[in-house]
Amino acid sequence: MVAAAAVLALPGTAEAYIGPGAGFAFAGSLAVLVGAFALALGTILLWPFTWLVRTIRVGNPYKNALTRRVIVIGLDGMDPGITLRFMREGRLPNLKKLAETGVFRPLSTSNPSMSPVAWSTFSTGVDPSRHGIYDFITRDPCTYAPMLSSTDIKNAERVLNIGKYVIPLEKPKIKLLQKSQAFWKTLGDKHIPSIIQRVPITFPPVPFRGILLSGMCVPDLRGSQGTFSYFSTANRDGQAAFTGGEQTVLRRKGNVIRSRIVGPDNGMVKGGGRMTLAFTLTVRGDGAHLAFDGGESFDLPLGAYTPWVHLSFRAGPGVNVAGIARFYLQSVDPEVSLYMTPIHIDPEAPAMPISHPAVYSVYLAKRFGAFATLGLAEDTWALNERVIDEAAFFEQAMAFCDEREKMFFDAVEHTREGLVTTVFDTTDRVQHMFYRYLDPTHPANRDKESTAFADAIQRVYTHMDGIVGKTLAEVGPEATVIVMSDHGFTNFRRGVNLNTWLYEQGYLCLKEGHTLSGEWFEHLDWSRTRAFSLGLTGMFINRKGREASGIVAEGDEYRTLVKELCCKLEALVDPESGDRAVRKARAAFECFDGPYRLDAPDILVGYEGGFRNSWACATGSVTTTVFEDNTKSWSGDHCVDPDIVPGVFFCNRPINVEDPHIADIPFSILSLFGHAPPRHMQGRMLFESAGGGPVRGVVDASRLPQSGSAPGARIEPEPTP
Amino acid sequence: MALFNHLTTALFDAILAPLGHGRPWFDLVLWPVLGGITALLVIKAVSNQAGITRAKGRIQVHLLEVVLFRDDLRTVFPATAKALAYNLLYLAYNIVPMLVMIVPMTTILVQLVSHYAYAPLRVGDSVTMVVELDDAVGGVAAADVTLDLPDGVVLEAPPVRTAEGMVAWRLSAQTAGDHLLRVHAGASVEDKVLSVGGPARKVSVLRTKGWEAFLYPSEAVPASGSPIASISILNRRDAPLGPFPAGEAGILAWFFGASLLAGFLLKDRFGVTI
Repeated sequence: MVAAAAVLALPGTAEAYIGPGAGFAFAGSLAVLVGAFALALGTILLWPFTWLVRTIRVGNPYKNALTRRVIVIGLDGMDPGITLRFMREGRLPNLKKLAETGVFRPLSTSNPSMSPVAWSTFSTGVDPSRHGIYDFITRDPCTYAPMLSSTDIKNAERVLNIGKYVIPLEKPKIKLLQKSQAFWKTLGDKHIPSIIQRVPITFPPVPFRGILLSGMCVPDLRGSQGTFSYFSTANRDGQAAFTGGEQTVLRRKGNVIRSRIVGPDNGMVKGGGRMTLAFTLTVRGDGAHLAFDGGESFDLPLGAYTPWVHLSFRAGPGVNVAGIARFYLQSVDPEVSLYMTPIHIDPEAPAMPISHPAVYSVYLAKRFGAFATLGLAEDTWALNERVIDEAAFFEQAMAFCDEREKMFFDAVEHTREGLVTTVFDTTDRVQHMFYRYLDPTHPANRDKESTAFADAIQRVYTHMDGIVGKTLAEVGPEATVIVMSDHGFTNFRRGVNLNTWLYEQGYLCLKEGHTLSGEWFEHLDWSRTRAFSLGLTGMFINRKGREASGIVAEGDEYRTLVKELCCKLEALVDPESGDRAVRKARAAFECFDGPYRLDAPDILVGYEGGFRNSWACATGSVTTTVFEDNTKSWSGDHCVDPDIVPGVFFCNRPINVEDPHIADIPFSILSLFGHAPPRHMQGRMLFESAGGGPVRGVVDASRLPQSGSAPGARIEPEPTP
Repeated sequence: MALFNHLTTALFDAILAPLGHGRPWFDLVLWPVLGGITALLVIKAVSNQAGITRAKGRIQVHLLEVVLFRDDLRTVFPATAKALAYNLLYLAYNIVPMLVMIVPMTTILVQLVSHYAYAPLRVGDSVTMVVELDDAVGGVAAADVTLDLPDGVVLEAPPVRTAEGMVAWRLSAQTAGDHLLRVHAGASVEDKVLSVGGPARKVSVLRTKGWEAFLYPSEAVPASGSPIASISILNRRDAPLGPFPAGEAGILAWFFGASLLAGFLLKDRFGVTI
């Protein structure tokens, strides 16, 4: 267009025109030239002004800094016990070096000890009663229906109706429910740049003076937290849906199969339902070929993932919604089976905001290719439901890890001063899914292969150690490097259904004629229910004035009930083993004093190692038994007593305290940059001076918390020889 | 050149102006769109599409790098340089399709200009006709060049002859029609059409032996042994084209813009990266 305008303005030169081909190149190139020069010139011209503004507003932002560069490598779920064991086995040379130069200690985590909560504490430097995140989900007190704790997504309210079309006149309202303020916002206000990648509970991104790519809780294109698709000519178990996924039964005509991918809801058409993408799958020898109607086609090799495939769903004339997915052809004979990952938001054309500035995800995608954007990217449910096997899951997890690694080093390269924080989820997901390999007696090993991936967790730890080594080599000793995790890990052998227990104990009542409930409290009689459990560690009291049908009065009645339940929970014993299931049940009113304390579950159930809320309990169901074996591949967990699952804290600087807490890290980073943390932050300064404090070296194994008596409750480090 | 002009002119005379020269919009819309589509097909067939995609991607990466890290001049300068370097690579990838398209696209454009750029002179208009002699042939002086006028065209002033071999006549068209002006240069005779009045039609303004014959193909190229290099009408009158820009430059610019627009709008449908 620029070129066309130039020609129109200068008709005399038009005689040199030699065809549209040259025109396309000319137009594109001229736009680049003009754009590049304008950008460069604008940047250069503006730089003195921005420098001046910064100097007037904050002076030299590094004036009192102990360091000018901080790199935080977040290894979600890295466990201090396992780390120490692998370190002693010589598998983590870089972490060992880091610990010997600086420090390695267990890192006390939040209560509850789960990623959305702990990383929110990391982001804000405050406890859950101040940031308001207590679990992945909570209940709507008006309806008791489950709702995401982190994000509220509402469709656009102002719309234009034209025939069958509904044209939104505003963007959908997407709101981050996390309260308080991220510490990188404070840094940005002080003109210290940050690149924050994939820290949980950062969707939608809150604008600040820095760069951010959202992490855990970014939905897939369908708006769920990850819905995989399984296409098969075999009707497996006669199911139409799995937990976390959907099955489509294929009909084969010779070598050709016609089907469709189900995409997001079409909000632009009244009653439009879900958008779909029709495809033809042709079996060819050992593999297959997939062709979208009127679009892209690609080969599907047997037993291997495709690269990211761009999926475009047509919402209306000229309106497409873009997503990406990877395909994994599992078999072609006798049955054709094809797995497709959840449809991730396309980072090159994001349907929802996943980065700040919005072009950051575009930049990363252009630079390194499409990448996983879904919050819980590694498809744990597909393995849990045995739709894919361990090999396919592990390959997927490591592929996503490689994507993250490239982004991380790009951020390091671009941040000569300031903060880089990147969270790698692989450690968490692989431990969740492969913990059973560390415990030969794990119930999840029944009917499953249990040796081939015995080294999976070690391989991931070693891989992460490599990233740490590369980082240390790249940034040099001047930068402060922190390697941390939000929590550790423990075994998950037995599921506990607290709703069933409450029902048996008479605290939870079902409607007449029911002895079991469906999901999400179906058949519950709220007029007689005093307590219920939802999510992974929380028990709620049906409080008058808070819950819509609350019956427990505030004051003594409430406090007495909570105390009574805490006592009974701590006495709860697994009849099969005689082991105590709950290590500590804590009353929220004793733990929290922040402004959002009333949103907290009233009791935080701190399980012993080996136990966790059962799958049915987490979704608000009353089942036949309180205790049951956990036979799913998801065999390790951390939703237990936070005292037994601390995270790890490594730093190349010694510190002041023996017992660092996750809230200390944001506090200390602000202090390292020479800025006083805001008063609402609750942490401590870990670093006394540029030289560091007296606490240094590797933690002694005896200082690691023990986790109860359940067999295989925790994989302890080998004793020191 | 003569044969090429003859064939292409015959072809385009047959297919252009199906609604008549008075309704140029049809051709002025159709041919740029066809030109854009042809360009897309040629680019798809002969260009390195993967290379173009890569180069464009890298350009975008480095421009975004400038946007994202604008506070860091140590990033801005190298990123700008890289964007410009990839821009050169992008241009290089377009050389082959450009070369393939030069002849067909210019041919279409030239024929559109021939048919629609000029209007016949009005009755009573004065016009200057210039004959240029061919130095390479020689043997004829400017003084030896004469002009036979048909009925309806009169001489307004005696011819002006220059030592460089140019002769100019100032003429006046008295009646409408396509008048044939006959130029004698020694033993050689060449004709030139002078279009006056009447409906909109194809108007020739230059008959030449030089490379410009490719751009003005309406009349036959003078014989190679002819001492006349070119016969041109200086007082050209642009044909009104309604909403479209008029004249040679107008049609060129319109074709350029419209074909580009068509190409950009249709590139995804044709699966082409440009």
